[in-house]
Amino acid sequence: MSDIAVATGPVVEKRRGEGLTATALLAPATIFVAICLLAPLAFLFRYSLNDFVATKKMMVEAVTIANYVKFFTDPYYTTILATTVRIAVMVTAACLLLGFPLAYVMARTQSRFKNVLIILTVLPLFVGNAVRSAGWMVVFGNKGFFNASLQGLGLIEKPIEIMYTEKAVIIGIIAVNLPFMVLTLQSVIEGIDRAVEEAAFSLGASPATMFRRVLWPLAMPGILAGTILCFILAMNAYATPFLLGGPLFKMMAPLVYNQFTQQANWPFGGAIAFILMTVTLGLTLVANLIFQRRRAS
Amino acid sequence: MARLDIENLVKRYGDFHAVRDVSLSIADGEFLVLLGPSGCGKTTTLRMVAGFIEPTAGRVLLGGQNVTLLPPWKRNAGMVFQSYALFPHLTVAQNVAFGLEMRKIPRADIDKRVEEVLALVRLGGYGGRLPRQLSGGQQQRVALARALAIRPDVLLLDEPLSNLDAKLRQEVRVEIRELQRQLGLTTVMVTHDQEEALTMADRLVVMNEGLVHQVGSQRDLYERPADRFVAGFVGRSTFLEGKIDTPGRFTTQGGLVLKCVGGTTGPAVLSLRPERVEIAPVSQEGGPLAGLDNQLQGTVEFVSYLGSLIDIHVRLSPADRLVVQIANREGGFAPDVGQSVHAGWPASAGQVFKA
Repeated sequence: MSDIAVATGPVVEKRRGEGLTATALLAPATIFVAICLLAPLAFLFRYSLNDFVATKKMMVEAVTIANYVKFFTDPYYTTILATTVRIAVMVTAACLLLGFPLAYVMARTQSRFKNVLIILTVLPLFVGNAVRSAGWMVVFGNKGFFNASLQGLGLIEKPIEIMYTEKAVIIGIIAVNLPFMVLTLQSVIEGIDRAVEEAAFSLGASPATMFRRVLWPLAMPGILAGTILCFILAMNAYATPFLLGGPLFKMMAPLVYNQFTQQANWPFGGAIAFILMTVTLGLTLVANLIFQRRRAS
Repeated sequence: MARLDIENLVKRYGDFHAVRDVSLSIADGEFLVLLGPSGCGKTTTLRMVAGFIEPTAGRVLLGGQNVTLLPPWKRNAGMVFQSYALFPHLTVAQNVAFGLEMRKIPRADIDKRVEEVLALVRLGGYGGRLPRQLSGGQQQRVALARALAIRPDVLLLDEPLSNLDAKLRQEVRVEIRELQRQLGLTTVMVTHDQEEALTMADRLVVMNEGLVHQVGSQRDLYERPADRFVAGFVGRSTFLEGKIDTPGRFTTQGGLVLKCVGGTTGPAVLSLRPERVEIAPVSQEGGPLAGLDNQLQGTVEFVSYLGSLIDIHVRLSPADRLVVQIANREGGFAPDVGQSVHAGWPASAGQVFKA
């Protein structure tokens, strides 16, 4: 009955106004989130259960799961979902692969240019996705910088088709997401004592073994955070697939936008939005569980 | 265990000489301590032996084998780090087993060895805990156990006690020393704490600015310091600046003429251990000072009471001040500030170094 003993013990008197200040400080953000995130989501979810009369382009009040059924029974839409998940997984894996060495070097460097390195990593975030994608279009086009250079050097005869393919979209999203991965990993690796790596070496571990047995497990919180961040961003990528993928390449976020603006089909758009959100959340949770279970064993 | 030879080791970083030409031989089973102020190159030397730093020049021989170019994981050196560097995600037993797993030893043998080594450092039964669940002293012992488990050719200790509180440090010193003797471990320890160095070492190496100033036993360093740096760094010394007029005769800047042993004519410094100087009241002619080569009158400027000892600063001339340390005996002489006293010492108590 130790709880009771604690409860009946002397209560530390709160300083006057402390609770009030805390409320005052927390309230604005809480209200903002409630109004600007939860309310629209609630409305959107309600809309996704409505009917849509295609001929009049009109939403009709109802409670039906027809929109969800429509999405999952039409291979056109399920293919888009599959593409989105596939692209997001590939991008995330690539970001981890490319980002880890860079994050490691940035975390461990003693150079006085370390801050410059960090700024250079963040610099791409100063350029909006749309602007950047426009830049990629110039580089990747059939007569763009990339193909022109290779042709000029005589390495290829015909231009390599990159623009308006999956390749372009993947490269584009990696470029957007990489800084997030690198920064997340870097901050975690910085918290790992360098001496721990040296200890592993002195005990006979080769660099590969040290990485597998020491660095990787200790960096796991950062790997998890970076991977989740990167995956969510990739799943919801809009500008990059829209601009670099061309009209035939479909991912979920542009599809949602299309339903709202081109088709004026709010119920179906809402349903797709919720499917995207749920799949993203679900996959993130599953990955998290698998990681954590493997860590525990 | 094996002998360790360091031959003409040099480490340069651009223009900065971290280590300049260090040569040392550590016999099988010997406990060698590298002692020096921070930045003297002692840690760099140790890390070159461990293989974490590649020397600019020179060789490291472990058991006669040249390991200079071997990476750390191919040398059989057990290292205890200042921060302990335990693997925080592994249990105590897994930490200790790590090096054995790297050596592909069968599981059953690993478990047995881990248990033995943990018992050796008095941590039997702690195998299942995580490092963060242990006290600093216990973590330190796990680090030691982990290094010992691989039966290293040489044990390297990098300031292993600096993160422990003062009382625990004294216990652990003795503990490590006894373990080292019992197992016959060839050991190199780095420290800036001279008391630690003096209690633990078979032999000491005093380093400063990348150079070895003196190698020797505790007695060698204290009684026969090789130069002014060693005299000042190991124990305490009062330095009187001046010159040697003729061998055996030293004149201070303040004009005091003192008898000393040897020395070559020219600018020099006379170093005196505070406890080798006798002190007596002026009134008391002869007494403890009778027959001493140097007898001078001075004024007490400062007294600090240290319990078992008393430090007395005596002004001998406007330019010369001497520190005298006396035992705090009942009924013993204890002068006050401002009092005139006689200070004296035999010529052999002073050490003369070229300035």
